[in-house]
Amino acid sequence: MSTVAVPLRGSYLEAGFSLWSWLSTVDHKRIAILYALSITAFFFVGGVAATLIRLELVTPAGDLVSAETYNKLFTMHGVIMVWFFLIPSIPSTLGNFLVPLMIGARDLAFPRLNLASWYLYVAGGLFTVGALIAGGVDTGWTFYTPFSTMFSNTHVIAAVIGVFIVGFSSILTGINFIVTIHKMRAPGMTLFRLPLFIWSMYATGIIFVLATPVLAMTLFLITVERLFGVGVFDPALGGDPLLFQHLFWFYSHPAVYVMILPAMGVASEIIPCYSRNNIFAYRSMAFAVLAIAIIGFLVWGHHMFVSGQSIYAGMVFSILSFLVAVPSAIKVFNWTATLYKGSISFDAPMLYALGFVGLFTVGGMTGLFLASLALDVHLHDTYFVIAHFHYIMVGGAVMAFLGAVHFWWPKITGRMYSDRWARFAAIVVFVGFNLTFFPQFLLGYLGMPRRYHEYPPEFQVLNVLSSAGASVLAVGYLLPLCYLLWSLKYGARAGSNPWRATGLEWQTPSPPPVENFVSIPEVTEPPYAYREKDRSDG
Amino acid sequence: MVEAVVVARQFDDARQQRRASDLGMWVFLATEILFFGALFMSYTISRIHAPEAFAIASRLTNITLGSVNTAVLLTSSLTMALAVRAMKLGMRRTSVGFMCATIALGIAFLAIKGTEYWLDYTGNLVPAVNFAQPGPHAAGVELFFFLYFVMTGWHSLHMLIGIVVVGSLAVMAWRSDFTPDYFTPVELGGLYWHLVDIVWIFLYPLLYLVSRA
Amino acid sequence: MIAHPVPRVRTYVLVWVALICLLLLTLGSAYMNLGRLNAGINLAIAAAKAWLVAFFFMHLRSSHYMLRIAAATGFFWLAILIGLSLTDFAVRY
Repeated sequence: MSTVAVPLRGSYLEAGFSLWSWLSTVDHKRIAILYALSITAFFFVGGVAATLIRLELVTPAGDLVSAETYNKLFTMHGVIMVWFFLIPSIPSTLGNFLVPLMIGARDLAFPRLNLASWYLYVAGGLFTVGALIAGGVDTGWTFYTPFSTMFSNTHVIAAVIGVFIVGFSSILTGINFIVTIHKMRAPGMTLFRLPLFIWSMYATGIIFVLATPVLAMTLFLITVERLFGVGVFDPALGGDPLLFQHLFWFYSHPAVYVMILPAMGVASEIIPCYSRNNIFAYRSMAFAVLAIAIIGFLVWGHHMFVSGQSIYAGMVFSILSFLVAVPSAIKVFNWTATLYKGSISFDAPMLYALGFVGLFTVGGMTGLFLASLALDVHLHDTYFVIAHFHYIMVGGAVMAFLGAVHFWWPKITGRMYSDRWARFAAIVVFVGFNLTFFPQFLLGYLGMPRRYHEYPPEFQVLNVLSSAGASVLAVGYLLPLCYLLWSLKYGARAGSNPWRATGLEWQTPSPPPVENFVSIPEVTEPPYAYREKDRSDG
Repeated sequence: MVEAVVVARQFDDARQQRRASDLGMWVFLATEILFFGALFMSYTISRIHAPEAFAIASRLTNITLGSVNTAVLLTSSLTMALAVRAMKLGMRRTSVGFMCATIALGIAFLAIKGTEYWLDYTGNLVPAVNFAQPGPHAAGVELFFFLYFVMTGWHSLHMLIGIVVVGSLAVMAWRSDFTPDYFTPVELGGLYWHLVDIVWIFLYPLLYLVSRA
Repeated sequence: MIAHPVPRVRTYVLVWVALICLLLLTLGSAYMNLGRLNAGINLAIAAAKAWLVAFFFMHLRSSHYMLRIAAATGFFWLAILIGLSLTDFAVRY
């Protein structure tokens, strides 16, 4: 009746209205919201950098910004989007919110560590934004030596410290997820009754704890080398710049699996719900997630095929990169098979999830092109690579993130949004995305290098198409900001299970009470029991 | 007198809380292995690249102080393990005593390390500060000492943190904050201390024993 | 509560004795010129010392299997980092 946004009585949103109650919370649901707000802010900062990049690339001449400024733009775009948006996006927002709910727990294992992880994220962000305000960094998000250690005149150290700090945010989140999923499942919630989103969060946590510490130490080493002029990466001193690359990519390749595994988990929740079907081959989906996480640690050298590493290493990493595609492909087949004989509805979350599957497939297959040594010689450091990873990170991860936000919005906020606007926005995002990034495959194949602010005139048409697409994409991203915020005040109240989905999180009110469940549920059914015949474990 | 263990609200019971804490600590220790691991990797690659330089450089480390320090640290692990054991048996004073011994040994370690650093300084072995060594392998020797200072520096920082942690545990134990049913922080503090010891166990041969024959 | 018997002081002291012996062994063997074997011996002894500390002082001996997996995983992953990198460095150097 009232148009004023009043949270449901007794929900976590009502447990304190002061700023301090939010900043000192240990409730995983509130911490998730803190993260959501911060990553959204960073998304738009990274988006501004992207806008300027695409504006520059409308014309072949480097006429909008200088070459140095352009270097700073793509660096900040990468640094912010990778570490301050994509890596925390699904795990720290939806993971934090949903992991305890999905497994039937009252909170994560270590709530105070959870809050600490958010503060570390903010502290890291402040250093990085500080570097940005002080004039930016121009090394590329990859901080390759010797440029980063010896020749760049920009605020490398400030940015590196920012990333170092935010890495510990990831590590704490990873520890929390691993322990929570192992030790705090509700009675009857056996490993193979876990939602696939939980399997994804678990695998993501493992990557966080095993990969991030290596990055931290590596960033420390380039800081020292930059400050003191001595280090292990300088060949003049007996060091090796490839040592940096091995250390950096040992983290950064698994990091891309941190970005995609949660998205895959989201798809595995949404697609069964909107096809009213059990997920196809649940166990293989769970094992595939683990396989991707593990094999993903063995492929990092594919970023270094033309760096000067030995051809022998190139062959080993190439074969392993082909191998990691197999579990990913299995998952794509299984999502598709889940649709078979389903009762499909195209609500906004489903549109995003289906878009995710298609675009991830394109991105993944183009990864195989890059994994082939001979092809990579031509494609490395071209727009082909940029298109490949944007298909996966934007077409894949961001679409899945948006799908997840839409799917669980009623649960998190207790409000329903306009499905018509949401579906429209999903289509705008899909169209805008493809218009932006498909031409970039062609550009790369034709030879346009990445990280260049000017290019030969024959590439202009494709660049203009790409920039046009970016403006459409931007509209697509702004729309949810409007109608989702509008729903907070004017949206219809959500019931506990508006999508008739399976999963423990849907069996508690929307929004949930502080302690998640009135009483901890006992699990007796397998997950995704959308069909009568799926209600038993046999 | 039996005191109830305080169970945090997210846990079902003390057992779940204990198991979660143990697993969380071990996962954290795994991150420490990889954190130092990046340095061990850098060392391995650099040594393969410049074996003669590393041989020369290793002979310039102070093997007496390094070996004594290793014995000191191994002994401190013994005292810490005994401190944890005593706590489990409710022997509060004994436990605090062993914790103080651990701290004393830790401080001894740092003092010896500091002495070594001073000797390295007077021996012109500090990269970027006063490094000056003769011979064709000087660059490689400087690289060795770069890694030496970074690795032992991070190790010493972890020792310092460990001393503070064990010190805090000793104070808490003295104030009877722990019982035989609840002494998890002592156990976890012990795990941290032992890990820092394990890091040194690997540092020692790599830095001090490369080419002594 | 973990229903394992509390190890005797004797056990801990014997482990410490073993550790000191291994220290003397690694120090002593370093003064013998065994060529490439020196490094291997030193690392093996270090691994043995680490195992003793982990198994006895850190109670992995009586711990839940998941803790042993966590410990092993850390070392194993480091082995992956160094091992796979050697496909590059061992060939180039």
